[in-house]
Amino acid sequence: MSIKIALAGNPNSGKTTLFNALTGSNQFVGNWPGVTVEKKEGKIKGHSSKDDEVILVDLPGIYSLSPYTLEEVVSRNFLLDEKPNAIINIIDGSNLERNLYLTTQLVELGIPVIVAVNMMDIVRKNGDKLDTQKLSKELGCEVTEISALKSEGINDLIEKAIRVAKSGKKMVAQHSFEGSVEHALAHIEEAVLHDMPESEQRFLAIKLFERDDKVIERLNLDSRIISHIEADIKNCEDELDDDSESIITSERYAYIASIIGSCYTKRNKGKLTVTDKIDKVVTNRWLALPIFAIVMIIVYYVSVSTVGTWATDWANDGLFGDGWHLFGIGSSQYDDAVSEYAENEVFLPEVKTALEGANEAGITGADELLAAAEDKDFGAFEEAYGSYGEELAVKENGKYDITPMLPIDEEGEFSDTPDPADYGVWVPGIPVLVENGLVAVNCADWLQGLILDGIVGGVGAVLGFVPQMIVLFIFLAFLEACGYMARIAFIMDRIFRKFGLSGKSFIPMLIGSGCGVPGVMASRTIENERDRRMTIMTTTFIPCGAKLPIIALISAALFNGTWWVAPSAYFLGIAAIIVSGIMLKKTKMFAGDPAPFVMELPAYHMPTVGNILRSMWERASSFIKRAGTIILLSSIIIWAGSCFGIVDGIFTFSADMELEDSILGIVGNAICWIFSPLGFGNIKATIATIMGLVAKEEVVGVFGVLDFEGMTSLAGYAFLAFNLLCAPCFAAIGAIRREMNNPKWTAFAIAYQCVFAYAVSLMIYQIGSIFTGGLNIIGLIAAIIVAAFIIYMLVKPYKAADKLTLKTKAKA
Amino acid sequence: MIPLTFANAGEKITIKKIKGKDEVRRFLGNLGFVEGGEIIIVSDNGGNLIVNVKNTRVAISREMANKIIVE
Repeated sequence: MSIKIALAGNPNSGKTTLFNALTGSNQFVGNWPGVTVEKKEGKIKGHSSKDDEVILVDLPGIYSLSPYTLEEVVSRNFLLDEKPNAIINIIDGSNLERNLYLTTQLVELGIPVIVAVNMMDIVRKNGDKLDTQKLSKELGCEVTEISALKSEGINDLIEKAIRVAKSGKKMVAQHSFEGSVEHALAHIEEAVLHDMPESEQRFLAIKLFERDDKVIERLNLDSRIISHIEADIKNCEDELDDDSESIITSERYAYIASIIGSCYTKRNKGKLTVTDKIDKVVTNRWLALPIFAIVMIIVYYVSVSTVGTWATDWANDGLFGDGWHLFGIGSSQYDDAVSEYAENEVFLPEVKTALEGANEAGITGADELLAAAEDKDFGAFEEAYGSYGEELAVKENGKYDITPMLPIDEEGEFSDTPDPADYGVWVPGIPVLVENGLVAVNCADWLQGLILDGIVGGVGAVLGFVPQMIVLFIFLAFLEACGYMARIAFIMDRIFRKFGLSGKSFIPMLIGSGCGVPGVMASRTIENERDRRMTIMTTTFIPCGAKLPIIALISAALFNGTWWVAPSAYFLGIAAIIVSGIMLKKTKMFAGDPAPFVMELPAYHMPTVGNILRSMWERASSFIKRAGTIILLSSIIIWAGSCFGIVDGIFTFSADMELEDSILGIVGNAICWIFSPLGFGNIKATIATIMGLVAKEEVVGVFGVLDFEGMTSLAGYAFLAFNLLCAPCFAAIGAIRREMNNPKWTAFAIAYQCVFAYAVSLMIYQIGSIFTGGLNIIGLIAAIIVAAFIIYMLVKPYKAADKLTLKTKAKA
Repeated sequence: MIPLTFANAGEKITIKKIKGKDEVRRFLGNLGFVEGGEIIIVSDNGGNLIVNVKNTRVAISREMANKIIVE
């Protein structure tokens, strides 16, 4: 017989930690309410055999069984429909009173309940005492102490739970309400529920008393019966001078207060805890925003500019490049050898004289070559020579040609340069190894092209950014796990409210800066449907981990790695969210104030290393998996598309196909007019943008496979803006579809993102052209009309929301 | 009888009444805001409050805090 046990409890009470400990699963545990947004199932370790399975279902955290948020609906429906054999109600021992509120409701369901008091280590450390035996007697169910984090008491808990589940004994709630309430409940049971199983009657009666729409709908009651019981409810409400729901809530808390005094002794009553003290500083009205800004700057500076870049450089130039020195052994000797070589062979006095002359003559690139020679930077000189050497040789009848002075071979490369493999411990890069292998087995040229240029090149370009993302994911996991993330929502609420979003929208956006898929999913904690839809639509404007490479690429290739390009991408994302928030709020669909902010703040705690690494790995591995599947496939398609083509009317294959003749080029050429008003109507940028819909990493993949083609900086930035803001990758579109749960809304969200991206990109390019030259009157007029429309939407007064509020209420 | 936004941080205060729509009151109730219950304001961020209620910290916006009438 297989047994199903549900794990229920308040948000942030440690359900997922317990779930992991029991099932050996690897779910991430964050320290903010609402980490688990879907129910998850797992088999219990050591207690499951083939025909005797014990399945544990991890439900999202809930405060009560009267559904207010989506998570509560998910949990409640599961408990009512699937009727698990037992419920493990995990409660936070350091916070007993509020946690028992849910317990009083769970025991009414008739399903056997076992209460697991978690965080007992903290309770004991605080010097508080809990009498579990007494609590067990009062509640009428087993109560056991555990520490999910330290895996204490877990085995005992699961054995008890299995025993309770197998016994099949129905749970009977021990508490009763005020006389007049009990009277009304008895009436309801008699009038409506008498033919239902006895164990289920109590819960349903209470819900009917509370006028719970969803339960009324479930039971399919006719209006005559409803009006009959309504009279009973009204009588009771008049007698107690309150509405029925508040009566029940107060009664539950009164009951808890009555039992808790005898079971629980608290040592420091009313004293400020460490968490309270930290909160006094980090949520202080003056310090909150500066502290938040500093934290964010550190996170993005470290992950994008310092550690992230070192790691990415290694991955791109070493692992997926020529190779690298293991642990840097031999690097300095190699560098010395290169300097010596350059000094003796390259930076000769006559070379410098020639370059100085060329520079004065104004030949393109001479300044760059000269600067590299003066800095004694051979790497930069080699690169600049590759770009401008020919220019120098031709201009002014070859007067300044430096090629004959340099040790250059027939292929135009520097010869006899020191080989890094001769120094220290040299590890060759993957492409080198693969190439050697392919040459050794006499592989056909086209297959070598496919493997090296198509697969290794394309996938490698994407995987090269994994280290950078790992650094970012570690930071985000730390912020989530320590408890600061929840405070960020609180701090940002004051600001977000001004443009129609709630502070809770900020968490999806912050997570979205790692990856849009969990970002969109995190929007589930937002109760208000309007706010949630708006958050889903705007979350992917924030550059996600996969968009980082695009930013890095454009910034390096077209802006010489200027410092402001990367931050400006984030500001562009934030501005897009703000502008969209204000504009959408003025439409009929989104009118109305965001729902008032209420959120439980967890106690701060130091996250465990394992938990952070788990979260990092969960996100990074899904990224790597995509590199192995969808990106691998599209890399092959791009490669094939660029090598097969039509030359002189004949369909042929060539590894050196001109882009214009290739299939990819023909397709790109046919549709690139769409992007020409944005300045990047060339074939390559068009293909990159389209491939970006498959996965944003592909944008870089395209430029990795096909070489970069000259674009002006302005067009490059317009290209960047469009790719950052337009519809996200397939995976994120899938997440949007799941969360919207409505094809019309999904289509609207995607269309809005694309149109908005086009508008922004158009404005950047056309208005920017005024300053850089190449002004196009029609384009400029179009851009000004778009800008005028956006400004009109921004300043237009808000619509009254009365109609919509009524509609949502009726639906709820 | 004053709205919670006017109460002083750090003092123990008693909830007298919770105003507002059913939905709001229900949610506040589930989180432990019940009439007669005691709460302490931990932090005040321009009217948005962090409140200690039943030993947990709950962040509420100014609009919400205005609906909670305390003594």
